[in-house]
Amino acid sequence: MAAGGPSVFLLMVNGQVESAQFPEFDNLYCKYCFVYGQDWAPTAGLEEGISQITSKSRDACQALVWNFPIDITFKSTNPFGWPQIVLSVYGPDVFGNDVVRGYGAVHVPFSPGRHKRTIPMFVPESTSKLQKFTSWFMGRRPEYTDPKVVAQGEGREDQPS
Amino acid sequence: MNPREEKVKIITEEFIENDEDANVGKRKKNSKVQRQLRKKQPPTTGPDKMVSEESHPGNQQEPAQDEPQTRLLSVTARRGPCSLPPIPSASRTGFAEFSMRERMREKLQAARSKAESALLQEIPTPRPRRLRSPPVKELETEFGTESGKEVGSTQQEDDFQSYSRVKFHVSARKIKSKPQVPPGFPSAEEAYNFFTFTFDPEPEEAGEKLKHQDGTDQEEEEGEEEPPAQEGANRMDEEELLHGKDAEDFLLGLDHTADEFLAVRRADYESAHVRLQREKEMLFIPSRLTVPTYKKLPENVQPRFLEDEGLYIGERPEVARTNQNIMENRLLMQEPVRWFGDDGRILALPNPIKPFPSRPPVLTQEQSIKAELETLYKKAVNYVHRSQHMIGSGDPSGNFQLDIDISGLIFTHHPCFSREHVLAAKLAQLYDQYLARHQRNKAKFLTDKLQALRNAVQTGLNPEKPHQSLDMIQKTINEYKSEIRQTRKLRDAEQERDRTLLKTIIKVWKEMKSLREFQRFTNTPLKLVLRKEKVDQKADEEAYEAEIQAEISELLEEHTEEYEQKMEEYRTSYQQWKAWKKAQRAKKKKKKQATEEHPEEETEEPYAEEDPVKPTPPEPTDRAVIEQQVRERAARSRRRPGEPTLLPELSLAGSVTPNDQCPRAEVWRREDVKRRSVHLKVLFNNKQVCRTASRQLGTDFRVHFGQIFNLQIFNWPESLTLQIYETVGHSSSILLAEVFLPIPETTVVTGRAPIEEVEFSSNQHATLDHEGVGSGVPFSFEADGSNQLILMTSGKVSHSVAWAIGENGIPLIPPLSQQNIGFRSALKRADAISSIGTSGVTDMKKLAKWAAESKLDPNDPNNAPLMQLISVATSGESYVPDFFRLEQLQQEFNFVSEEELNRSKRFRLLHLRSQHVPEFRNYKQIPVYDREIMEKVFQDYEKRLQDRNVIETKDHIDTHRAVVAKYLQQVRESVINRFLIAKQHFLLADLVVEEEVPNISILGLNLFKLAEQKRPLRPRRKGRKKVTAQNLSDGDIKLLVNIIRAYDLPVRKPTASKSQQPSRSSRTFREKHAASPDTRSPTHSADYPLGQVLVRPFVEVSFQRTICHTTTAEGPNPSWNEELELPFRAPNGDYSTASLQSVKDVVFINIFDEVLYDVLEDDRERGNGIHTRIERHWLGCVKIPFSTIYFQARIDGTFKIDTPPVLLGYSKEQNMIIERDFDSVRSLSEGSYITLFITIEPQLVPGESVREKFDSQEDEKLLQATEKFQAECALKFPKRQCLTTVIDISGKTVFITRYLKPLNPPQELLNVYPNNPQATAELVARYVSLIPFLPDTVSFAGLCDLWSTSDQFLDLLAGDEEEHAVLLCNYFLFLGKKAWLVMGNAIPEGPTAYVVTWEKSHYLIWNPCSGHFYGQFDTFCPLKNVGCLIGPDNIWFNIQQYDSPLRINFDITKPKLWKSFFSRSLPYPGLSSVQPEELIYQHTDKAVAAELQDSRIEKILKEKIMDWRPRHLTRWNRYCTSTLRHFLPLLESSQGEDVEDDHRAELLKQLGDYRFSGFPLHMPYSEMKPLIDAVYSTGVHNIDVPNVEFALAVYIHPYPKNVLSVWIYVASLIRNR
Repeated sequence: MAAGGPSVFLLMVNGQVESAQFPEFDNLYCKYCFVYGQDWAPTAGLEEGISQITSKSRDACQALVWNFPIDITFKSTNPFGWPQIVLSVYGPDVFGNDVVRGYGAVHVPFSPGRHKRTIPMFVPESTSKLQKFTSWFMGRRPEYTDPKVVAQGEGREDQPS
Repeated sequence: MNPREEKVKIITEEFIENDEDANVGKRKKNSKVQRQLRKKQPPTTGPDKMVSEESHPGNQQEPAQDEPQTRLLSVTARRGPCSLPPIPSASRTGFAEFSMRERMREKLQAARSKAESALLQEIPTPRPRRLRSPPVKELETEFGTESGKEVGSTQQEDDFQSYSRVKFHVSARKIKSKPQVPPGFPSAEEAYNFFTFTFDPEPEEAGEKLKHQDGTDQEEEEGEEEPPAQEGANRMDEEELLHGKDAEDFLLGLDHTADEFLAVRRADYESAHVRLQREKEMLFIPSRLTVPTYKKLPENVQPRFLEDEGLYIGERPEVARTNQNIMENRLLMQEPVRWFGDDGRILALPNPIKPFPSRPPVLTQEQSIKAELETLYKKAVNYVHRSQHMIGSGDPSGNFQLDIDISGLIFTHHPCFSREHVLAAKLAQLYDQYLARHQRNKAKFLTDKLQALRNAVQTGLNPEKPHQSLDMIQKTINEYKSEIRQTRKLRDAEQERDRTLLKTIIKVWKEMKSLREFQRFTNTPLKLVLRKEKVDQKADEEAYEAEIQAEISELLEEHTEEYEQKMEEYRTSYQQWKAWKKAQRAKKKKKKQATEEHPEEETEEPYAEEDPVKPTPPEPTDRAVIEQQVRERAARSRRRPGEPTLLPELSLAGSVTPNDQCPRAEVWRREDVKRRSVHLKVLFNNKQVCRTASRQLGTDFRVHFGQIFNLQIFNWPESLTLQIYETVGHSSSILLAEVFLPIPETTVVTGRAPIEEVEFSSNQHATLDHEGVGSGVPFSFEADGSNQLILMTSGKVSHSVAWAIGENGIPLIPPLSQQNIGFRSALKRADAISSIGTSGVTDMKKLAKWAAESKLDPNDPNNAPLMQLISVATSGESYVPDFFRLEQLQQEFNFVSEEELNRSKRFRLLHLRSQHVPEFRNYKQIPVYDREIMEKVFQDYEKRLQDRNVIETKDHIDTHRAVVAKYLQQVRESVINRFLIAKQHFLLADLVVEEEVPNISILGLNLFKLAEQKRPLRPRRKGRKKVTAQNLSDGDIKLLVNIIRAYDLPVRKPTASKSQQPSRSSRTFREKHAASPDTRSPTHSADYPLGQVLVRPFVEVSFQRTICHTTTAEGPNPSWNEELELPFRAPNGDYSTASLQSVKDVVFINIFDEVLYDVLEDDRERGNGIHTRIERHWLGCVKIPFSTIYFQARIDGTFKIDTPPVLLGYSKEQNMIIERDFDSVRSLSEGSYITLFITIEPQLVPGESVREKFDSQEDEKLLQATEKFQAECALKFPKRQCLTTVIDISGKTVFITRYLKPLNPPQELLNVYPNNPQATAELVARYVSLIPFLPDTVSFAGLCDLWSTSDQFLDLLAGDEEEHAVLLCNYFLFLGKKAWLVMGNAIPEGPTAYVVTWEKSHYLIWNPCSGHFYGQFDTFCPLKNVGCLIGPDNIWFNIQQYDSPLRINFDITKPKLWKSFFSRSLPYPGLSSVQPEELIYQHTDKAVAAELQDSRIEKILKEKIMDWRPRHLTRWNRYCTSTLRHFLPLLESSQGEDVEDDHRAELLKQLGDYRFSGFPLHMPYSEMKPLIDAVYSTGVHNIDVPNVEFALAVYIHPYPKNVLSVWIYVASLIRNR
């Protein structure tokens, strides 16, 4: 650390959003962003990114490959609030509307080295069957006000989620 | 000691010796075992050895013997390598030893037969031997162990010893068996021995062996583990070698030319018998017999049983007895001591095996998975409770029934008892007691007994049976006598008790009677009748006398006996005393003689014996005294002779005074009793199983239930409880008491169970406002309140519990066997909870009892906490913690002490941040090290904490306001803390965006939209997407201010000379033309400003010190239509809803007139250049708090511009337009207006008001009605505000009308215009408006709307619209006006409260915060819609089609237009007001106000203005200032009206040489900041004309209750040339 300046530690994240398995969907793209605590600050790299649209591979596994790079460096003074990467995947529905296909979050690995993470993705459900239909019909699926909520714990204290 | 050193030494020694023997190779080949052994072995003569020797006294000889042996052997060994050739195969033999041995023998025989040459050639190369020998050695050791048995050496010998012995033995035997060997040559046996046993342990090796043995104590593991491996390896080697025997032989032959030893022979057969024999010799088979204890213990040691000594010993694992014996025998053979505990048993850890398997059953191989997965159909069966409490799981008729008969309940005390009831209860109780005693009649019984005893004594004294010995008779008589004595005492006591009981009964009855007389009504039907039974006086007297005489004689007898006894004692003691005296005298004499010789004795002597006191002779008894005593007692406890026997009889025959004859309090009491009802709940095993019907409490406080509950029970009854509940009216029932019923014996069956009464009592405290005496409350029967009694609610439940009888007559009782023994009791021991129930665990006594019963092992660590608990509980005196510690081991995990943790600055910072302390809520990047955290970080916080209690008067000029500010701060903090938690609750809508389900109208609208124009000519604002305020940061939020147009701005007035003051009419005429657009072209004359008789207004919006302004428009009705964008910054960068709501910033919208002055001094240059100076003159402003914008989301409308009352140089020109018809509406209003649209981009979602129900003291019915009313109103007009209940400052829900009540305004206001009610009303409104405005949303973060009462409001001197409106409305009510509170929407406030008054023919709408009033049809009335009207006794909801005040009818008597809350169906219940009776006003200290005015505000403002002009010199014109100062009080008295002209004239007169621009500002005083902001916003200081001078005057007019009206006059002066 530079003399005089406050002591921090750095967390460098290099990686990529490699691929996804969305058996039912095709032509998806993904967005990523980071959620981190108050003691964290990004120093270099991109905090958010949006990938290209990819289509399913033709082979048996039918993976959606993005290989979308992530490169960010954080500095921090406190492990509390360790960064989480939040991914949200979007793609067209039957009518061509861009709808969300999945949200997911995972902590940036705690130990150095190469890590592979598989994030289960999910989307909020409509509150009723009727709404499900209308949202499907109108292409306005329920979505989070902010994808970052999936990585936040606020307000989850008393409701099972 | 230093073992390592010695070890090293030894090793080196070894190596030296090894070198001598060239033995290194062997060592190297040796496995690590030996190295290990060596490493750990203590030196041969080390202390360990000594110890071990000492500990085994039996072994003492052996080592000593060993030494020579080994030496001897070593001698042979040394010779060995020299004399014998190595025979690897032989030396390696392990288990194949037998055959090998044989073979060897053969070989040797062959060798012998081959004559001497072979023997002579016995010089081998030592190398191969070295290679081979170590494993052999090991093997030998092993064999030695076993063969030790064979030889029959003592069992205590350790194996080495036996080994060495064996060797010796064997060799000896061998030698013996082959004696014919010629001397000088090694015999065949010797050779054989040499090969087989390798007697070549070098001394150090022998030592090593020894060491090994001795060291085993420490390194048992190595010793135990390693050899088998070695053995295995050896075996392998052997096998290999055996297989390759031929080769080996061949090799041997090659190497050593030892062909002579080899002979090919047939294999020997060894018979099984021999083999067994041999095995027997070598193998040790431990016996199965029990080992006697003494063998297992060191000698002369008695076994100790630790368990008996109280030490904890775990449960030993289960091992079969035989196995244990075998093991013991085996261990004994090895090393007995280590393996046995003090109790002579094998050491064992507690049983680690769980009683149940934890692994799921494994699928067997045969069954395929499919078979396992196959589903089986099983019929659904009732869930069988697998609890331990269950009864008779195997019992088919496990259906038991307990009948509980609850017949009734009697209160022996109840809060509703009147005094009479208390007495009645007492009387009844006494009577019951009396009856019980009477029935038993113990006194009679005892009297009879006494009589019988006396007779017996009589007969005993006159013996009729002579055959009995005299002694016996005497003895029995003595016994009788003593019995008589006792019986008499008992009888006397009984009689006395009877008598006192009767007396108390009579006394209570008398009290009751007097009470009834006193209160003049009767409450209870109790009546006591005393029946007198006549007695024959004479007989009675005789009997009485006889009795007394008998007693006297008896007593006399006793006394004489006693006397004699005492006399006897006296005599003996007197004798003793005499003797002692004599002795003493003799001693004294002696002493006198012996004084010189024994001086010390003398001193000791007196202490040796105590002086016996001279006994006193006992007093003889006096008959008279005794007689007196007896008579006294008799009089006390017995009926006097001739006195009639009194038999009390209690009946319920009396009549109760009917209600209408009772006083009110009593009637209330009776009504209260009627409202009460009681019910019981039956709890079986702490579960409610049934409840009785709720029965009303009778006037006699008896409740009859008469219900029988048949409990079909399944579980063993642990407890049976009755809970008594009382219900008053319709409120919830209260648990009065619990009664525990005993579980009936098995013999008690239905029908035979008696009705029993169980008493209960409650600790309930109740005070009642009627005659009822209450419960737990002291009361008294006396008038003076003395003799207080405290009675608790109590009573009796009569019930019976019995087991039911089944259909066939069999009682349905759980079998006895289950209850007591076996099943249940076993479980009882096992589990505390199952046996005494969970509730019992918390009950110390129960727990202790259970522990005692179950014989809990007090030493088991598992029970330690329990035992401690019990010991604490039972010992009583020790400290019982009244808390339960959840993590009692927490301390172990605390890595630093608490203080250290608190001292850490980093931790503190983290802690404060996590607590959401405002200063740190958004602290980013808390430094890693303490040293990097500056102390000053905490300074603000600490200061605030300190300030909490210290009242600082710096910012707040008078202390009162400071106190209020502190109070508000504290209330705010507590409220915020309370709601912070509530804020955490997110709704689904907060997180998930979901389209609403479209209904028909939306669909239709959408369809309609398709047809709509793409780009309409008149665009409309569309709704925007709302953004939750959680992910915002600086710069994301912008305030959009759309300034559209303004009306009726004041226009400039030509500055006329002093003389040229134009008349009003003439000016009007002239200016009409001046203001017209045609004449707008500027005239560039010298008096340029004069000619420019119009106005060039522009709007400046300042927010958070950011300033934006529009372009300049022209004319008094300008149209800008401009959008200004101002950035918004949240405090501390906290964009949470709570923080945004508490933003106190205000948007200032100032309207200025831009005035251009030509600064060209030379007219000649006019053609070449333009030199103008722009001056701006403030015309007015509109202030809109940010919180309003935030909550309204948008503000759209026309606002009245707040113009100063005097605007020098400007005039309002409404008069000129008044003639024009189209503007007739506007002419009604005075002042200027501006149309604005303000919003926030992006649209923020305001915080929801707290969805929380507050507790209330209102009647439940009323609250329900309010909910219903609101729901109905919301259904019809969801947008209209309907308010029925509000939250008061303590957080309770209060019905709104309670706030309205006539309240007196300050008397001095009323005195001003005694004859002008309208003026008084205005004055009052002005007074109210002078109370500073502080929105609740700011102070309470918009979470709730708290209503304070008017006195609180006046004390706080801050409040929002509601408080102002309530106070104003109350004042109006006091003034006799018809006034209502209007709840509605206004601009810019949004939902707000106004006041409506009825003024003879029209309605007036008052804005309580500004003090302005408007007619109902005033278009510029800020109130835009009306939701409901609130009067002191009702609420009316607007159900008219429209809600604009212009279009509605305020006639609340019309039910079609106004829906009233209280109506015929729900009459007004007469709610008391929450307001005080009267408002008390203190006069404001004028001196304080003056001080405030001069030295504080004025000074501060002047300093501020100078600060704002850092680049210019600020000159103050004192003359002007003083003029202005004189002028301000005038303004106050006239309330800023109609003084302009005079004022102007005055100013002109005095300051004719100056061009003057300035204005007075008027505002209520709350604190300094708003004043500074207001002055700043006028921009007076912005003039930078070089020779400008300033004037500033402040005037404070004090109103009662510290309400201060502040006037600030700011002006700039430019000298005219």
